[in-house]
Formats: sequence, structure tokens, C-alpha cells
Amino acid sequence: MKLPEQVTRLGIVIAAIVAVVLLLRLVILPETLFSARPHQAAAVEREMAKPLRHAGVAVCRECHAEQFELKYGGKHRNIGCENCHGPAASHAADENAAKPPLPREREACLACHGYDSSRPNGFPQVDPLEHRPRKKCVSCHDPHDPVPPKVPTECTGCHGRIERTKAMSTHALLPCASCHAVDERHMTEPRLALPTKPDSREVCGRCHVPGATDPAASKVTVDLTAHGGTYVCWECHYAHLPEGRK
Amino acid sequence: MSGAIPDSLNEQLSHQLSQVVGFIYPNEVETQWAILIVVYPYLTGIVAGAFILASLVKVFNVVEVQPIYRLALLTALSFMLVAGMPLQLHLGHPERAYEIFFTPQPTSAMAMFGFVYLWYLLGILLIEIWFEYRHQLVLMAQQSRGLLRGIYGALSLYSKDVSPEALAFDHKASKLITIVGIPSAFLLHGYVGFIFGSVKANPWWGSVLMPIVFLMSAIVSGIAMVMFLYILLSLVRNEKLDMRCLDKIGLFLLVAIIVDFTLEALDYIHRLYQSEESIGILTQLVSSKLFLSLVVVQLLLGMLLPLLILVLVRSVRFNEELRKLLYFTTSLLILVGIFSMRWNVVIGGQLYSKSLRGLMAYKMEITGIESLLTALALLALPFIILTVLFRLLPPRWMESHAPAAAN
Repeated sequence: MKLPEQVTRLGIVIAAIVAVVLLLRLVILPETLFSARPHQAAAVEREMAKPLRHAGVAVCRECHAEQFELKYGGKHRNIGCENCHGPAASHAADENAAKPPLPREREACLACHGYDSSRPNGFPQVDPLEHRPRKKCVSCHDPHDPVPPKVPTECTGCHGRIERTKAMSTHALLPCASCHAVDERHMTEPRLALPTKPDSREVCGRCHVPGATDPAASKVTVDLTAHGGTYVCWECHYAHLPEGRK
Repeated sequence: MSGAIPDSLNEQLSHQLSQVVGFIYPNEVETQWAILIVVYPYLTGIVAGAFILASLVKVFNVVEVQPIYRLALLTALSFMLVAGMPLQLHLGHPERAYEIFFTPQPTSAMAMFGFVYLWYLLGILLIEIWFEYRHQLVLMAQQSRGLLRGIYGALSLYSKDVSPEALAFDHKASKLITIVGIPSAFLLHGYVGFIFGSVKANPWWGSVLMPIVFLMSAIVSGIAMVMFLYILLSLVRNEKLDMRCLDKIGLFLLVAIIVDFTLEALDYIHRLYQSEESIGILTQLVSSKLFLSLVVVQLLLGMLLPLLILVLVRSVRFNEELRKLLYFTTSLLILVGIFSMRWNVVIGGQLYSKSLRGLMAYKMEITGIESLLTALALLALPFIILTVLFRLLPPRWMESHAPAAAN
């Protein structure tokens, strides 16, 4: 059977469209449009072309065995040397060509140990404003074997900000223990043994009632029976800086 | 963060926030699918509906509707050419559109739209129109000069054969294509409903009835659009309307509206009877934010009033002029009502929180890509294309220029 003339013509048009589509799909359009594989291959090549900058912990160990052993026995065993000292491939190639940096600033440690509520429970963290401000971490902690150098003996070890505030006030010379009773356990497990706070007005009254027994008593005196109702003093007065608020 | 947001967006968001009722999630304040996504199903619906009306002539031999056969086909084509544009504008990267054809993703209904659209446009509509117009194109190419001769020659693919056998073949071919075209038209618009119906996280959309509701409303809007254009063209050209044809279209419109109304009513009754946890917020949505567009415009003006008018026209013997007026009014009301239905589905589905405890607001932009002006332009464009198509392929040309050869 002979095909009608119009079908042949229509067929040619459709065939031409199909041919153009196939040409586009198979010849002209790049393979990267259809598959993720070339992207992956390109990424590998791109990364491989980059110069090698890190030497690796095994190379560091060859010369710095002592530091490595120390670190390997401590909490930082899984932290690579170059994490803190920077890429050291050039140093490994020629020890005199480049010296790896020796980070001694607080920021270097705070990157991991600065307080951040999203860090896992139990991860050692400090509030940089509270914890020995202006002091370098490495002056107390050995970064290759970081254990707390010693349990803090003074309150300022953790409560530095309060100490600094108190130092500017008329209460500067009062020891913390004159108002707070602190259990020994608070030094090692601070949250499980909280220090006391004054629970009666007499604690302040030791100095601030007229005719107080303490010779160094403040000139600021108040009649405890008439002043402040039943409130404890620190509910209105901030004892670490009494001048600050009323 | 807030400094990075341009003021106009900030203002928009703050306005929308002030309109929020109850509790919403933070990412719900912005309406992601805006006016253009309302226009898109409206346009495709008209395509599918107009094609179904045209198929009545070819497949079901409804001779009364013959006068609007070509009008329906050209209407379908001109709306089809615009149907993809709202999506292109919404997505914002028309230059990448070809990629959906070259990187098909068969597990995503949205990604398959390109194929549904292309099949319907190239596989059905253009080929059917070509077979229908081939005889006329051959004659027009012979009778015109210069550039037009070239255009018509190219459009006819330079075929010359107008023997009775060749014309009989054209007739058979276009009938065959229409038979394939009916399920394709169902696919085209059923697909649009499928997209919404398969969003299971959204109780306003996620319903198996959605594709069939979209399909029936598409048929209603397509018939109404052809009826509207038929009456309008007769007024413009000062021609006499074929009242038998108009009455027949009216009958089909009536049947389609009854089915559409039944399905939508079934959907609502089913939701109310099921009373799932979303029913509280949906009731609140319908009675507050969507009251005007759903209850008043879609249901009362767009469905019940046309239904009443069409029943009246069939039961009372009105004169021709009054019937024409009533049909014209009905078709307009339906076109507005179906647009409102698309609005209620697309925008309505984004006006309540997934928490089911709050309602949002949609503030339409006047200018810009996703705006009222763009939507109006897109709604006007099919009529401009139709005018050009009418000039290029006059539907009645054969009657005046080749009376002996007209089939």
C-alpha cells in the first residue's frame, strides 16, 4: 500500500524533530548534564591537583617522638599535630625552611574549649571571661597532655568576674567565706555541692547595725527591725558591689 | 539577618504577619504558589475542555456542533501555547526548560509535565489541526502571493494532493487522532489535579477525587470559553449564530456542570462526614478567608446560578435573543467561577497552617513577575494568539473560497 503524500511529508517533519532531539541528546549536550559521575571524577581530579600541605602525624613522630608519646597518652591523642601547629609538609621536607607556628594565645584553645551549649555533655569547656582571664592557657595546661594542673584552691579560679567586681567595691577585703560556706566537694564537683548564700539578715547585720561588734564595721548602718521588712538583704543589695545598686 | 531582607519584602511579610489568625509555623507566612499557579490550571483546563468539545464532532458525530469545531481546536491551541508560561515565569529560569526533556525524572509527577504537555501539543493538537486544515492550506497557498504563499506552502509542508482519496485520508486521520486525543486531554488536566491531589500533607488538596474534579471543571470551563468566543465572534462580525449549535453546546455545558457540581459536592460532603482532624480549620477557612471566592463566586455565581439559567433555558421557551443573552451571561459566570475554583484550590491550600491552628493571608503583588499584571497579561495572551490564528487560518475560508471542494 502506498502511503498518502501528506503522511510522508508529516513523517519527514517528525523524523527531523526526532533527529534533532537525538542529536542534541547524544552528541551536542555534555555528559555532565545527565550524570553525577563526571562531577565526582572532576572533584577528585581537582582535589588531587592541589599541592600537598600536610605532612601527617606519622612524619611528625619521626623527629618529635617525645611530644608524640606524651600526646598519645593524653586526652588529645586523637588530635593531629597539625591541628594546632598548622600544615607542616614544607617543614617536614626541610626543617629549617619553615617553622610551624606555636600557638600560645587563648583563642587557639578556646576554639574547642570555649563555652558553647551545643557541645556534648562532659566536654571540658570554660567561660573565657570567668576562667583566668588574661592568662595564657599553656601557662597552666600542657597542650600535649591537658589535665587540670591542680584543683583550684581559690574561688577566683572559676569566679573571676565576681572577684574583679568585688575588688572595686567596699567589700574588696572581705573573703568569700565570710558570707558563703563552701563545702570541700564544691572544688571538684561544683554543681553537686553548691555554696550557701546568707539566709538571714544577721549576716550583714554583723557589720551594718549601729554599734556593731566588728571594729572594721561599715559606717553604713541600718536598723534591721525597721528596714526592709522580711527580705534578706541581698534580695535588694548586690553584696559584691553594694555601691552599684540599691 | 533582617538587614539583608529588602524593605518591600519586609513590608510584605509584616503585612502578612498582621493578617495571620491563630498559630502558624514560621515558614508558612509566605505564599509560595501565588497567582501564576492559579492561572496555570485555569489555562490548561480551557485547553482540555475545548478539545473535548471539538472531539464531540469527530468521534461522537454530533453534527450540530460542527460550526464550532475549528473554533474549539484553535482555542485549544492558543491557550495551550500559553499554558506553560506561568510555570516558566514562576520557576524563573525559562532558559533551562529544555532540561526537563533531556533529564527525565519518572518518579516525579511534576518533572513529567513537560512530556505530558509536549505530547498533547505536538502529538495531538498540532497534528489534528494540520490534518483538519491541510486542504485549506493547499488551496490558500495556491491562491495567495508573495510571503503569504510561502507561509501557507510551508504550513502545508508543501503537500499538493487534494484528491478525494487524500481528503478522505485526512478525515480519517484527524478522527483517529481525536480518539487518541480524548484520553490525552484527560491526562493533561487530570495530571494537574493529580499534582494537587497527591500532596498528602495538605488535607485541602490531598484527595483522590482531585484529578477528576479538575477534569470536569476543565471540561466546563473549556465549553464555556468556546461558547463565549462563539457568541462574541458573531457579535463582532455581525454574523448569525447557529442556534441549534448553541443550544447543543448549552446542553453539554449543563451536563458537564451537573457532573462537576456532583463531584465537588461529593468531595465536600465526604470531607464533612469523615470529619478528620483538619475539618475544624478547613471550616474556618471556608467561612472566613475563602467565603467570598468559594461560597459566593465559585458556588453561587459560578455554578448554581449558571445551572439555574441553563435549566430554565431548556424548560422555558425563550426567544433567540434572550437565549443568546442568557448563554453569554452563563459562559462568563462560569469562566469567572472556574477561575475562582482554581484560586480556592491553589491559594486556599496555602492559607491555613499545617499546625491546623491558624490562618495565613495572601497579598497579591500588582507589578513584578509573580503579580496581578503578569497574570492579566497571560490571560490576555491566548486571545491575541487566537486573533492571529484566525487571521492566518480563517475557520470559514473554505465556505467562501472553495465551495465545491468543502467537505
